[in-house]
Amino acid sequence: MKVTKKEKFSSYFVLIFASFLALFPLFWAFSTSIKDRVDTYTLPPKFFNFTPTLKNYTSLFSIDAFPKIYLNTIFVTAMSTLIVLVLGALSAYAIARRPSFKGRSSLEALMIAVRALPGIVLLLPLYKLSSFFGLYDSLWALILIYAGFNLPFAIWLLTSFFRQIPIELEEAARVDGASNTRMFVKILLPLAMPGIVATGVFIALLSWNEFLIPVIMAGENSKTLPVFVAGFISNRTLDWGPMAAAATISLVPIVIFTIFIQKYLVAGLSSGAVKE
Amino acid sequence: MPKRMKLTRPIGQFTVGAWVLLAVTVLIPIFYGIYISFLDIKLSSFLPPQFVGFDNYVAAFKAPETWATLKITLIMMVVGMLVQIPLGMALALVLHRNLKGSKIFSSILITPMLLTPVAVGLTFRFMFDTDLGIINWVLGFVGVENINWLGQQSTGIFAIILVDSWQSVPFVMLLLVAALGSISPQLYEAASIDGATARQTFLKITLPLITPTLLVVVMIKIMDFLKLFDTLFMLTRGGPGNETTTLGLWTYKTGFVFLEFSRAAALGVLIMIITAPVYFLWRRSTKENK
Repeated sequence: MKVTKKEKFSSYFVLIFASFLALFPLFWAFSTSIKDRVDTYTLPPKFFNFTPTLKNYTSLFSIDAFPKIYLNTIFVTAMSTLIVLVLGALSAYAIARRPSFKGRSSLEALMIAVRALPGIVLLLPLYKLSSFFGLYDSLWALILIYAGFNLPFAIWLLTSFFRQIPIELEEAARVDGASNTRMFVKILLPLAMPGIVATGVFIALLSWNEFLIPVIMAGENSKTLPVFVAGFISNRTLDWGPMAAAATISLVPIVIFTIFIQKYLVAGLSSGAVKE
Repeated sequence: MPKRMKLTRPIGQFTVGAWVLLAVTVLIPIFYGIYISFLDIKLSSFLPPQFVGFDNYVAAFKAPETWATLKITLIMMVVGMLVQIPLGMALALVLHRNLKGSKIFSSILITPMLLTPVAVGLTFRFMFDTDLGIINWVLGFVGVENINWLGQQSTGIFAIILVDSWQSVPFVMLLLVAALGSISPQLYEAASIDGATARQTFLKITLPLITPTLLVVVMIKIMDFLKLFDTLFMLTRGGPGNETTTLGLWTYKTGFVFLEFSRAAALGVLIMIITAPVYFLWRRSTKENK
């Protein structure tokens, strides 16, 4: 298709305008986070004409619980991502390589249920069950639920990565008498590494951002960053500076992370919806 | 024939771990949720739970909040899709032209969907602030009086849809870019030889060929609007009153604010029933893919 000059001009206009809209709130959260109270509570808003300050960050870090909350978030994200990758890779291998096996259809039914059902429907009974078993406010309960809710995405994504690996490689190994496990470890895993890393990043992102699970399942002991950020809003006096700092601190790792893994993310984000 | 045996070696045990995890976090909660919806668990009662039959369902059907919040959910869903799908489509069509720099633009444009919804909600809440918000300040230039965005139903719903769109339009765009990319360029060449206008080309070639993806988008959007929670919680918490509360948030409030557990479980079962058609459609569409 030929693109005329006029179309080119209007396309760039649309792209630049959309990019501005996509980035402005990020800029605004960051700039509010390094403004003094006087510069925040003023109109017209100050875009660049203010003296930056780290006050908001120091007041954020001086909250006693903050380091623990940050570490909780990292721990829950890391552990649940690990569980998801191990279980996800094993299941994805089975789904990618066998049209049917025992338990396949019930597994797929459960996976779709996770995608379709709002979390609250599952979390209400999970909350009851976990308090019954004394697991309320425990990091491991969070980790398992995060893992369970994110597992289907990982399986869909990994399945599509595994399917891209030529089956001939395994057929050759099969002739040599290799077991499923051996083929999985020796052939599939090394070749699928980029896909596994991409999946891991994507799942870590989802876990890092998760709010509904911890807001229901976490008390003071296992609180995570999104719950902490949300907690700012219930205070009667809205102090936008530290709030913006809290928002920025949860957004910054994502922005840095995604710059490095752009290429894989696109595949990850459309998983479960991509036609194979 | 030993070799053939090896080709069909059972592989089901590879999925045992996933099965167990999903059984614990999904299957058991579904059945346990159905079970407690027939009891009378709530904070105000210290007696052991009693079996009350369909009482919670009857109460849920009689409560005006159930219908009001369902209506709000549907409004957000329909308006949200009407905003997000055309915008995502427009951006996808522009990106599909593959102009210089398209890659960088698409990287920038997908950023919003990756960000923590809670932090996004907080940021937008500041931007929507009546007195200090930058949105009212900008609107002031075109003579719009300060709007109390989050303090009333119509503008509150609008703000929620806007923030959700900010995060979801990139997703729609991404799926449609992939769909557009899979259309054979020869079709367009043939169309241009036949002298088709841009409009005809879009209606007769592009649109029919991306319809399957559009249906997937619609299904995902329906599921996601039923799930909508984080940004809604941050922007209005369903207020003022329950005027921007969705059915999902109402279930949350019933369970965790009013501590009417069994009532909330019954609402959860209702949500399951509402989700069922999408579930089966989704299931069918993933099966057809194989």
